[in-house]
Amino acid sequence: MDNPTFNEDDGGSDLDEISHSFICCVCRDLLYKPIVLSCGHISCFWCVHYSMSGLCESHCPTCRHPYIHFPTICQMLHFLLLKMYPVAYKRRENQILEEEMKRDTFSPQVNSQDTFSTMVFESNSSSDPLSTRKGEAYANTDVLMSNSQVQDDGTGTLVEISDGNSEVIRNIAVEEKYCKQVSVADVLCLECKQLLFRPVVLNCGHVYCESCVIIPAVEMLKCQVCQTSHPRGFPKVCLELDHFLEEQFPKEYMLRRYGSTGTAKQGGPAKQGEKLPHWSDPHSRVHTGCGCDSCGIYPIIGDRYRCKDCKEIIGFDLCGDCYNTQSKLPGRFNQQHTPEHKFELIENGRTMWWQPLHNPIVIASEDSENDEND
Amino acid sequence: MMISGGRSPSSSSSIALTASGGGTSSWAPTTSVSASGKRIQIEMSELNVDPPPDCSAGPKGDNLYHWVATIIGPQGTPYEGGIYFLDITFPSDYPFKPPKVVFKTRIYHCNVDTAGNLIIDILNDSWSPALTITKVLLAIRSIFTNPNPSDKPLIPGIARLYLADREKHDELAAEWTRRFAK
Repeated sequence: MDNPTFNEDDGGSDLDEISHSFICCVCRDLLYKPIVLSCGHISCFWCVHYSMSGLCESHCPTCRHPYIHFPTICQMLHFLLLKMYPVAYKRRENQILEEEMKRDTFSPQVNSQDTFSTMVFESNSSSDPLSTRKGEAYANTDVLMSNSQVQDDGTGTLVEISDGNSEVIRNIAVEEKYCKQVSVADVLCLECKQLLFRPVVLNCGHVYCESCVIIPAVEMLKCQVCQTSHPRGFPKVCLELDHFLEEQFPKEYMLRRYGSTGTAKQGGPAKQGEKLPHWSDPHSRVHTGCGCDSCGIYPIIGDRYRCKDCKEIIGFDLCGDCYNTQSKLPGRFNQQHTPEHKFELIENGRTMWWQPLHNPIVIASEDSENDEND
Repeated sequence: MMISGGRSPSSSSSIALTASGGGTSSWAPTTSVSASGKRIQIEMSELNVDPPPDCSAGPKGDNLYHWVATIIGPQGTPYEGGIYFLDITFPSDYPFKPPKVVFKTRIYHCNVDTAGNLIIDILNDSWSPALTITKVLLAIRSIFTNPNPSDKPLIPGIARLYLADREKHDELAAEWTRRFAK
């Protein structure tokens, strides 16, 4: 039997050093390509995706807050974690990449040059997700160890192993140094360019201070950097990140706390976009299991446009709203979609009243049948 | 075996695919077995470090996906002193689907049927991938102290007795504890 039973696993031993704030509540490992939901809770890209329901509204694993949009990866957090825990983050990258290759579906690449000019790393981690290259720290140790075994079986091993150990120690030292290197510049608000204070993360993954998000009078909340609209009301403060900032930069955080008189936003969070007309309309067509690659709505309700030219298994779809406006590239799963691609309108979604047939209980019982059959 | 099956529990995605009807593409996930295995391993070590009171759990044999757990009947309940064995089966898309928990020890309880199936909300509709076996065990332990006779009890007779004549109910439950759980 080929199940992954009690093998001493390839990592996880570094988990003790990782701040509790950055452990994903779903996979219980270091967050990888973190996503912040509108309720402020953080999870990994794949953990959020798998937790979502393709049939109806999804709920936050931690607080059960309902949402229907699959948010974009929070780049700021991604680079922060990469900087703080380079070795563990690399381990996660390799681990996830392996799973992605098995499924032939990839999470989006995160490019460092996007908005964070301060985040220039010598580690070209985010460049090519297709390479199976191991984390350099590990690779070094591995090479050393295997050399020692291949070259001199008996005599030289002791020396070589101690070399290997020193390498490990050096890596730990490097990691600690990196941890200290995290500076205020890594955690700035995109609007006020100061240390984030009570940070909120929009659906597009951009981070602002709660008091820096401008609430427009009529239309939906928009990100001031990428101009993407944030659906469904005002996001809640990401408390894990807030606590981390307070702990890491106590002096600067205090200054922000006393400096910001403008936290009065709490009283009236934006309500626009809170109600989604589709959801209350029983005649809306639900495209079960299909999400919009632009705004992230999942499942798509109403019109659905499918790209006829994208070759990826996961496909490329847009909801009616995003089809009619400018769409972002590439897709949520790293599809190589281009503006030249042609779309077709998919008509035959289910109407809402079909949904009770697919409620979780039915799925659960089908699963259990499967289990028994297996 | 369920694990080597690997892709089998994609029933949710197959529903999604047929229901979407729109052709090939779908966001519906197929989880990998190794991810669930990692998560179960992490839970196992967490349980070793910080086990919940009166509970224990661990893999049955060399299969990471089949566990056996014990809960000791809490003090002050008719189940006091009884040792209850449970079988836990993890689906291969754990933690996105709840584990299956079955009582192996017979128990006189309105939420547990004769086959040992039990109904608690977090193992059905209210499951969340952030929940762990520790939390499941604590939830099961709490139905020893607070049975739930009003919300679709599996054995309505016991539920009725619990509500009508608590003393008689407790007496019977204690009798069953002596007979089956010690």
